[in-house]
Amino acid sequence: MSESKRARLSTAGASVLLWVSRTLLALLVAYPMLSAVEATGIGNGPDRDAVLFRPDALMLLELIRVGAPWFASALKTALLLTALTLVLELAPLACALDMLCGGERNFRARAARSFAVFPRFCWLGAVAWLTQGGLLVAISLGEAALRSALHAADERALTVAPLGLVALGALTLLWVNSVLDLARAAVVERDLGGRSALIHALTVLRGQPLAVLGGSYASAAASAFAYLTAAWLMTRLNVGNGSAATIALAFGVHQLAVLFAITWRVRWLERALDLCAAAPLASMASSASSSKDLT
Amino acid sequence: MQRAAIDLLIGGLFSGLSVVVLIALASAPSERPHRARAATAEPVLTPLFPSDAALRNGAPKVASYTIDATLDPIKHRLSGRETVHFVNRSTASLNELWFHLYLNAFKNDKTLFLRSPFGAGRSGDKAHEYGYIDIKKVSLAGAEGIDLWPSRDRHSPNDPADETDLRLPLVAPLAPDQSLDLTIEFEDQLPEVVERMGYAGRFHFLGQWFPKLARLEPNGTFAHFAFNPLSEFYADFGDYDVTIDVPEAFAVGATGKLASETHASGRTRQRYLAENVHDFAWTAWDEFQTRSERIAGVDVRVLYPPHHDTNAEAELASVRLALPHFNALYGPYPYPTLTLVHPPEAAGNVGGMEYPTLITTGGPWYATLGGGRFIEVVTIHELGHQWFYGLLASNEHASPFLDEGLNSYAEAEAMESFYGPGSVFDGWGLSASSSAVNRATSADRGADEPVAQGAADFATFRNLGALVYSRTATVLQTMGRVYGERRMLHAVGSYARKFRFLHPSPNDFSSVMQEELGPEAATVLSSALLARGTVDYLVRDVSSAPAPSDAGVFDGPSGRKQKKPDPPHAAGKYVGRVVIYRHGALQFPVDIELVCEDGSRQYRHWDGRGFTHDVDYAGPSELVGVSVDPEQRILLDDDLTNNWLTTKTVRLPRVFERGLFAAELLLGTLGP
Repeated sequence: MSESKRARLSTAGASVLLWVSRTLLALLVAYPMLSAVEATGIGNGPDRDAVLFRPDALMLLELIRVGAPWFASALKTALLLTALTLVLELAPLACALDMLCGGERNFRARAARSFAVFPRFCWLGAVAWLTQGGLLVAISLGEAALRSALHAADERALTVAPLGLVALGALTLLWVNSVLDLARAAVVERDLGGRSALIHALTVLRGQPLAVLGGSYASAAASAFAYLTAAWLMTRLNVGNGSAATIALAFGVHQLAVLFAITWRVRWLERALDLCAAAPLASMASSASSSKDLT
Repeated sequence: MQRAAIDLLIGGLFSGLSVVVLIALASAPSERPHRARAATAEPVLTPLFPSDAALRNGAPKVASYTIDATLDPIKHRLSGRETVHFVNRSTASLNELWFHLYLNAFKNDKTLFLRSPFGAGRSGDKAHEYGYIDIKKVSLAGAEGIDLWPSRDRHSPNDPADETDLRLPLVAPLAPDQSLDLTIEFEDQLPEVVERMGYAGRFHFLGQWFPKLARLEPNGTFAHFAFNPLSEFYADFGDYDVTIDVPEAFAVGATGKLASETHASGRTRQRYLAENVHDFAWTAWDEFQTRSERIAGVDVRVLYPPHHDTNAEAELASVRLALPHFNALYGPYPYPTLTLVHPPEAAGNVGGMEYPTLITTGGPWYATLGGGRFIEVVTIHELGHQWFYGLLASNEHASPFLDEGLNSYAEAEAMESFYGPGSVFDGWGLSASSSAVNRATSADRGADEPVAQGAADFATFRNLGALVYSRTATVLQTMGRVYGERRMLHAVGSYARKFRFLHPSPNDFSSVMQEELGPEAATVLSSALLARGTVDYLVRDVSSAPAPSDAGVFDGPSGRKQKKPDPPHAAGKYVGRVVIYRHGALQFPVDIELVCEDGSRQYRHWDGRGFTHDVDYAGPSELVGVSVDPEQRILLDDDLTNNWLTTKTVRLPRVFERGLFAAELLLGTLGP
């Protein structure tokens, strides 16, 4: 098998792995809320859940009103499961990165490796979340200060200026995420420890900031486009009055959007691996010692 | 470097496309789009009332005011001089007058308004700067030297801390049909915007700003009350002649028609005349933008803040649709002008209020974006008040459902007529109707308190809003769906015509409903409004089985025969039984839909009498489901989720599909 064909297969395999794991974990997250909807009895009628899609929202609002006690409880469980799945999803991500690295290992070996790097991924995730939390606080404070400073400005400036700040903040968060991905790539590609991987990622960022931002930005923008397009297409499909085929089509459109977004993410992960591989290691981070520095 | 540039370019391309899709999505109508009717000055319905030529065209005038007011926008003070021409149109001699000084509600924290648990008022904000009205002198024509004001009561009845409802003894009794002229000198200190009046920066709005007589009832008593935060107002009709003096840079909007305008010493004096109205409000601001248009024979003017052009256009568009519509349904708008005031965001609490020929709207500059119809809803609601408050000047303190409730019905009817099922929201592929929102906000509260009670009697603001506004509208919409939309519209239209320029009571409304809809509907209406009447139709029992064959011992002309049962399904027929229950006091006739295994449907009807109703089923296939009120006519039904039952396994494919995608989206956004 040629190298390029193997690479293409790896890319496709990583995409499918991430999509399947995302779908399964999403089922887990959605289950409590789906059960709560069923418990309300809204689907007991002759038209089943089609009543929720009627244009006047009469039954949708009734579902929210009658189901509120169920939903409050289900939401707590769903949030807990979301937190759990966010951690669990690191395992398939590690496996996908390992697949993208190439090599002739079988799936069991790749799975074993992904479990080996899992603690380092968790540590990196925690660092990134703390950083993003700090950024969110800073953005929130900055927005309040901006609103106060603009007190005398016209209404439009008062609305748009804080939005600009939020957009800037979102871009920064995206940059933090791209550094996190670089660090993960460094963990898998070079078998670095968490702290060393982070230092390496920052080195890559310092060396090629545009490449890092461009790669992750393209991935994020493609995801946004896919999800928005899927949502827009749903407004064109008459799911409420539609047959089973229409519902299947809606399912297909949504899953295609998820797969599209994941494919672009995999493209960025490949790029991150390349960037990490190309950058020289910092002197303090020798691979032999650093793999143990945080685990 | 080249690859980075390509990535950035791709990212930019996807971002641009995302923005385009986002805009398309925000304005994407629901699955069954319902286009708004084209703006037209013609009545939008087949006329329910062929001719309105004989309608009453004016009110019996009781209290007419001539006011000269000068505003100091720096100190937010107003000095005024008013002459009240008062005619005793009651059957009794009067020994006293009652004045409402509503502005004193914001004088200190001890007033009835501000000490109340609802002291934040409808606006949700307490007064930041206090406001009050001082009366300097009250004199009677012919005895100008004598100041009557010192002889007044010092406070509202039984409330030493409140000065919003004051009695002024008369020097001599005023016999029926006699009149008097009082001259009153007063000064207002305006509060920072609270409860739809006051100032915000240089923006000023003056509602309930002058000494105002309480409404004189036909029996010679005054309908007076201290200003309660749950309550609105009540006053007699009269003519208003008001001259407003403001700095020259200020634009003014006011009740009535501008009769003259003069400029001197950097100030403007504008004189407004309004006939047959029962209140006068005005606004002044040096940043107002204005738009004017003649709609259905009325000069409509919109005053709005900078950057609110789209809101102003949406408001004008709403008037273009609703003014002819309301004219056709509730009788022609009798005034030559209509002024819409869109307050700036800092004075948002002024928004959403009605005065004769002047209404306030509201909302941020981007309110028209994203599918919401807030601007349309508030404009059409306040416009409706020109009938249900303006022309039908009922007691808002004693019977708020007569103005806010009937007007919420009128608003919902108009909105759904113009915008269909997306009358409240229509974007992002979702839509919601006024009737669905009214039902959802009031369904839990039907048994809490009567709808038809005084404003101050409600336990909470939430209850007042849910019951007076939403529940009344839901009651009337349900009556319309059950007894006929046109009959209901005709009934409300007849009420609006019969009591135009009068002060109708709940009994007046009930009597018209009885005449128009019949005693059965009137009983339901009375129970729903007065006696916390509720209703919940539900299905609990559905059973179905193959029809049993005739089996047993039978005596016939040819002797006794014994017949063994046929094997199941041999006859190819099924029988079944369904039991429908009705909880609550309200009785509505309902349809019942029986759903068969083969997809066919059968229909039955129940007059709604009794607590349970048995439905027998016989058909070629198994009965698999039943639905009571399948067309959902009874919006008052307490719980719509128990209106149906199926014997089949419940599957929710659409919910599953959407739920899964939502979870994937969540993980895609937050996930690693």
